[in-house]
Amino acid sequence: MPLPPLPAPDALSAGFWQAANAGRLVVQECTECGWLAYPPDAVCPGCLTPKRSFRWRQVSGRGVLRSWTVVHTAFLPWFGPLVPYVVAAAELEEQGGLRLTARLADPPGTPLAYGAPVDTVFEELADGVAVPLIRLTPAAER
Amino acid sequence: MSTTSRQVAVVGYAHSPVLRHVEGPLGAVALETALAAIADAGLRRDQIDGFTTGALFPSSGGGPLVDGEQIVTSEWLVEHLRLSPRWLAGFQGVGQIPGAMILAADAIAAGSADYVLVHRAMYNPPTRYHERELPLAEGRDQWSAPHGLWGPPSQMALAYMEYMQRYGASRESMAEVVVEARRNGSRIPWSHWYGRPLEREDYLDSRMVSEPISVLDCDIPVTGVGAFVLTSAERARDLPHRPVYIAGFAQGRWRSTNSLDYWTLDDIYEGGAKTAARLWESTGFGPGDVDLPQVYDGFSPMVYFWLEVLGYCGVGEAHRFVADGGIRAGSGLPVLSGGGALGNGRMHGVPQTLECYLQLSGRAGPRQLPGVEVGVACQSTPNFGGVVAYTNAPG
Repeated sequence: MPLPPLPAPDALSAGFWQAANAGRLVVQECTECGWLAYPPDAVCPGCLTPKRSFRWRQVSGRGVLRSWTVVHTAFLPWFGPLVPYVVAAAELEEQGGLRLTARLADPPGTPLAYGAPVDTVFEELADGVAVPLIRLTPAAER
Repeated sequence: MSTTSRQVAVVGYAHSPVLRHVEGPLGAVALETALAAIADAGLRRDQIDGFTTGALFPSSGGGPLVDGEQIVTSEWLVEHLRLSPRWLAGFQGVGQIPGAMILAADAIAAGSADYVLVHRAMYNPPTRYHERELPLAEGRDQWSAPHGLWGPPSQMALAYMEYMQRYGASRESMAEVVVEARRNGSRIPWSHWYGRPLEREDYLDSRMVSEPISVLDCDIPVTGVGAFVLTSAERARDLPHRPVYIAGFAQGRWRSTNSLDYWTLDDIYEGGAKTAARLWESTGFGPGDVDLPQVYDGFSPMVYFWLEVLGYCGVGEAHRFVADGGIRAGSGLPVLSGGGALGNGRMHGVPQTLECYLQLSGRAGPRQLPGVEVGVACQSTPNFGGVVAYTNAPG
């Protein structure tokens, strides 16, 4: 049985994965300029401050669909049984260009549209390891 | 214009057969090809006093990466050619052929070397190219692998889908690109696709890898080596073939304010505009001066990106440009006349560079295009790669 590619939390990422396991989506916020970074970066991409002073900022998980791909060939064997699955790119509402790239929670074949409203849910990849998924926001919740 | 413009020339080349796999070490193929290129330039082995390459290899299929086996650095080549060159360098990163050509041009113009061999060795692992067992996603991989995002086809698919959605492009338009590359590649004796053009329907029916990228939107992994010999414009006069001068060049490295492991369409355009502006500044040319815009096509959408940033059509218009016959042999721009990567196999920037050299030196044989004076050879994406301009007109 192939193993899932579990994230390896490190100094830069541990806070993100802790929050994910609690069902919260957080991004790296620079305390100098307020820039939000995902993935978290070694140096703030907004102001390049050498202070490297960050905190985790919870975001809504809401945004719009900017792109997607339907994966038919899974190069990571664990995902083989899931094909065809969709990897989506969502631009989060908190900052222009702030992108979350994750699998789509909706079933294969769900019609997708550029700019469609999306939000974020969580799924366990393994016991105690949750990853965000992007979901088309149900019409009633838009 | 760059002060090195037309000071350095390509004076010879060699190309191995492009095969899916070869018996024995890749280094042996590289050595044989290097010696053939040196002989083609009318030189002796011991006259080559500079070597460079961009050895970075896209994937070893999770297997080992051993110098001389799966990659061939200039260091390996020099050692096995039993030479002690005075100049030796390696290009780091992506856009390997333009990167190495630029290093070589600068070294020759500076007098650091008289005759430089630039080679590129490509290897196809026996396993599937991008397949990996990855129980732990460390470093940057933790932002992609746990999400099922893995490998360049998916990364390119995200940029291409964004393009298709924004500009209303269809796979029917892209058929023009892939069929044209294969038509031209089928006429090249060393190509993997020699004698095997592609029907439009076969492209449209091809197996999806990461939709909208099908298997035929990706160049096929191959094993092969290309090599070029460069020297100063002055020394080139004494050599047997018509020199093809480096007229200028540009590189691009642009990721705006994200650290995603794929390129957004905006990053491609923003970075590409910088690369194109540098190219025209470096050469003194504009897009209309180029007879052979050999755009990169390792993934088919890259053809659109290069066509647009180089100014052959507006942003978002390349899909209509190609659908209207804009790149078709005979009537359109010869942007894939050398077959590119889609028509030769995954030789990275070698086919684009070789087509510029062969056409501009008058050595393209039955494929020779009349009256060509300027070409550009692109590699990778315009925001994250390089481009070199060539001309047969002396400075």
